[in-house]
Formats: sequence, structure tokens, C-alpha cells
Amino acid sequence: MFLTFKTVIKAGWTNFKRNSYLSVAATGVMSLALILFLGLLSLQFLTSQVVYSLEGKVDISAYFKTDTSDEQILKIQSDLKARADVVSVEYVSRDQALSDFKARHAQDPLIQESLSQLDDNPLAASLNIKTQNSSQYASITQFLENSKFKDAIDKINFYENRDVIDRIGKLSNSIKTWGLTATLLLALIAVLVTFNTVRLTIYNQKQEIEIMRLVGASNWHIRGPYLAEGGFYGLFASIAAVAVFYPLIYLVSDKISNFLESVNLLAYFVNGIGEVVLMTASLGILLGVASSFIAIRKHLKI
Amino acid sequence: MIEFINLKKIYEPNDIVLDDVTFEIKKGEFVSLVGLSGAGKSTLMKILTKEEKPTSGKIIVDGIDIDTIEGNEVPYYRRNIGTVYQDFKLLSNKTAYENVAFAMEVSGATKEDVEKDVPQILSIVGLGDKLNSFPSQLSGGEKQRLAIARALIHRPKILLADEPTGNLDLVNSYDVVKLLLKINKLGTTVVLATHDTNIVNTIGRRVVSMEKGRIIKDQLENGRYII
Repeated sequence: MFLTFKTVIKAGWTNFKRNSYLSVAATGVMSLALILFLGLLSLQFLTSQVVYSLEGKVDISAYFKTDTSDEQILKIQSDLKARADVVSVEYVSRDQALSDFKARHAQDPLIQESLSQLDDNPLAASLNIKTQNSSQYASITQFLENSKFKDAIDKINFYENRDVIDRIGKLSNSIKTWGLTATLLLALIAVLVTFNTVRLTIYNQKQEIEIMRLVGASNWHIRGPYLAEGGFYGLFASIAAVAVFYPLIYLVSDKISNFLESVNLLAYFVNGIGEVVLMTASLGILLGVASSFIAIRKHLKI
Repeated sequence: MIEFINLKKIYEPNDIVLDDVTFEIKKGEFVSLVGLSGAGKSTLMKILTKEEKPTSGKIIVDGIDIDTIEGNEVPYYRRNIGTVYQDFKLLSNKTAYENVAFAMEVSGATKEDVEKDVPQILSIVGLGDKLNSFPSQLSGGEKQRLAIARALIHRPKILLADEPTGNLDLVNSYDVVKLLLKINKLGTTVVLATHDTNIVNTIGRRVVSMEKGRIIKDQLENGRYII
């Protein structure tokens, strides 16, 4: 049995080598499909990281009317801190808010000038509240709105952040949908090209096949080499895909880290290199063998 | 050994190729199946090797109705039947040795078996000194002997030769027929389909004559082919 397997694989390898140009085409299209698939994987990772870090950053900012006293605000702060679902409550006084604002717009002379012409500090004091997870914001908001200090609160800012998360979610979903469609389309083309290549091999070897049937070669012996050939297209396509994908990730990773400090795409893929290679190879081999299988079903009479 | 019972083959819509063929071939017999082209000789052989299905009727080989042989068992059934054709069906990019070895390898023979059997079989058919010749370097008669060698690798009980001398001159034809007779002498049942009257008449064995898909004459001994 092992001997048979070896012969079959060897015959498949010979088919693969002899088809030189066609092999390159089949392997090329398939590796494109696989690269796109790997691209989708990185997108999936990126969006999950972005959403995760944004969710961590989302907080409730409760802005107080300018005539609210520090004591009142500190009281609210301690009330909030007593709650189990609150992680932290940061008090930003009006002065602090102003100096933050000035620092943020230090490069903008127009804003600096406008501020200097104001007599009073126009900014409100605020409390920045962080919770354990984003679903608890609603109850915090409710708590503030129902508290005895509700008159002191000017506005509660929280839905705006939610919007950003929703927008990112929607954007990534639509990219994923289109990416998946493109991947499937390319995979289909890869299957067609591989199918055609194997079909040509079958036609070229009509005589061998006829003789094999004549001398009573088992069905596995006749079909096996073509399945193996398809598998080789998949295997080499996955090797090519990984060989192109990792340098790409290496080039892009730094640029992404500039935007999103906490995200390290390269580290993610380098740590998971075993899984990535295994998954890409399995997917490629599966595609190749499936294409061969269709070609055999259609064009190889036993 | 081989029984053809009411065998009928009709190609759609109504091209009758075999019409109620019934006869029996005994073990160790040498049977010449004769008739003009289109008489149904080749179709009969194709049905026997399960390349074609009969429209009706059946064939019993060694007590087994071959219609009951399932798809994956067909290769093993075929190993009992060696086949030789007019066009040799040799692989031109392989040497004589490799042509025979290829047939053994794809049937799952081990390397040792191949190395032992191939030179032996080739010397039986008289090609012991042509192991490394390519088909293009062999004469017509040698090509056919090579094809016969390949047909013998599984030591088949039956050897079917479909117009084996069709592409050969007289001398080479006699060589091939002599070889077939030798193989028959060693115990293999041989069925020779041909329309070559000279050949048939020199063999002097059983002759089954076919015409338009029917058996018209069955001479059990010293048969002759009369058109």
C-alpha cells in the first residue's frame, strides 16, 4: 500500500514538472487566491484589535455646568467610584480642561488668540468614567441622569464614541464581504485553471491511461497521479503565498503601528506562523485536489 | 472457460453489431475469430474485457457472470485477460523494458518482481537482446511481440489478439502467430480475431466465422476461413 502511494505521488510529481508553464499559471492563480485569503485574515485581526482598543478607550464624559462647585463634582465622583461596574473616574477641572485645550492647540495661533481675548474660562469641568465593558455605559448614564445632581450636569457624552465603533464595525464588515467575494471568485478561477491543467495532462496521457486500463491497473493507480498533481499545485501555491505574504506584512506592519500603537501585525503572524502555514497549505491542497477530482470525474473514464 | 450466451449489442438507434451470439470457448483452446471488418469481432472482445456493455445476454468466464463484477474489481478481472491490438499501443517514449515494466508497476508489482520478470518475459518473446530499444527502433513484428510480452505479465488465463497482424508483412505475421501458438501450448487460451485468410488457414485450429454480428460457421477442428 505504501509502495503504491509512493508510486502515485511520484507520478503526480512528474506530471507537475512536465507541465512547466501550465503549472506556473495554475500555481500562480491559486497563490493569488491564498494571498487574498491571508489578507482577509490580517484584516480580521486588525479590525478586532482596533475595536478592542477603542472599546477600552470609550468612556463617559459627564460635563458639568460652569457654576457647579468642586465639592459637588467630587461627591459625584466618589458615588461613582463606589459602584462595582466602574473602573475609574477621572476628574478634569475647568482649569485643567483649559490648559489641556491650550496644549492641544498650541500650534494654532488663531485659537490661541481667541482664547486670550476671552475673560472667562469657557470650558466645563468633567468626569471621565471608564467601565469594565461597554455594555455598562447605559446603566451609568441612567445613574447620573437620575441622581440628585442631575441639574448640575450639562451633558453626558457617550453615544458619539459608540458611533465610531459602529462605523468601524460597518466598514470592516463591508470590506470583509467584498474581500470574501473576491477571494471566492479568485478561488473559483484557480479551481478552473487547475481543472483545465489537469484535464490537459489527462488528454496528453490518453495512451498511458488506455494502457493502464488494458493491463488492469487499479483505479487508484490510474486516478491517483492526477489527484497528486492537483495537490502539488495547491502545495506550491501555498508556499508561494506565504513567501509573498510575510515580506508584505513586514513592510506594512510598521506603518500600521504608527497609527495604532498597540497593534503589532508582524508579531501576530510570526507567532502564529505554524498555524498560518498549515492552514494555507491545507486550503491550497484541498483546492488543488478538488479541481483534479472534478477533472477526473469529467474526463477520465475508467 | 468462456461462454457467450445470446449476446446482443445494439448501438442506438438501431445499429445491430452483435446479434444473438452464443458459443463456448474451452480452456486451452486456440480459437480464430474471423470475418470482414464490421462483423462484430472487436465488439465481442471489448465486451469480454468489460470495456463495453452488452445490450442483452451474458458472458460467463470461469463460472462467473462478468456483469456481476463491480467497478473496482474490473482491473483485477482484466489481469486475467491479456490483450494485443493491431496498433500495438506501446509508449513511444519508453524502451522495450520500460514498456513492460510500466505495465507491471501500475498493477502494483514490486521493484524486485519487475526486475526479475521483465527480462524473462522479453526473452520468451524473443526480445531478450532489445531491452533498451525504443519502439521506433523495433520492426513491426518486434513491436507486436513486445505488446504480447506486456500482455503476458499477469500470466493471464486468456489472451485476446485483435488483428495482431493487421500492420505486419507476411513474415512478421507468421512470427507473431507462431508466438501465439507457443503461448497457447504453454496453457493459455488464445482468441485471435482476424480477417487474414492466409494466417487462419495455416493455423489449422478452431475457426469461428462471423458476419454482420452473427456466427455463421463454427469449425471445431482444422478450420478454414472462406469468404
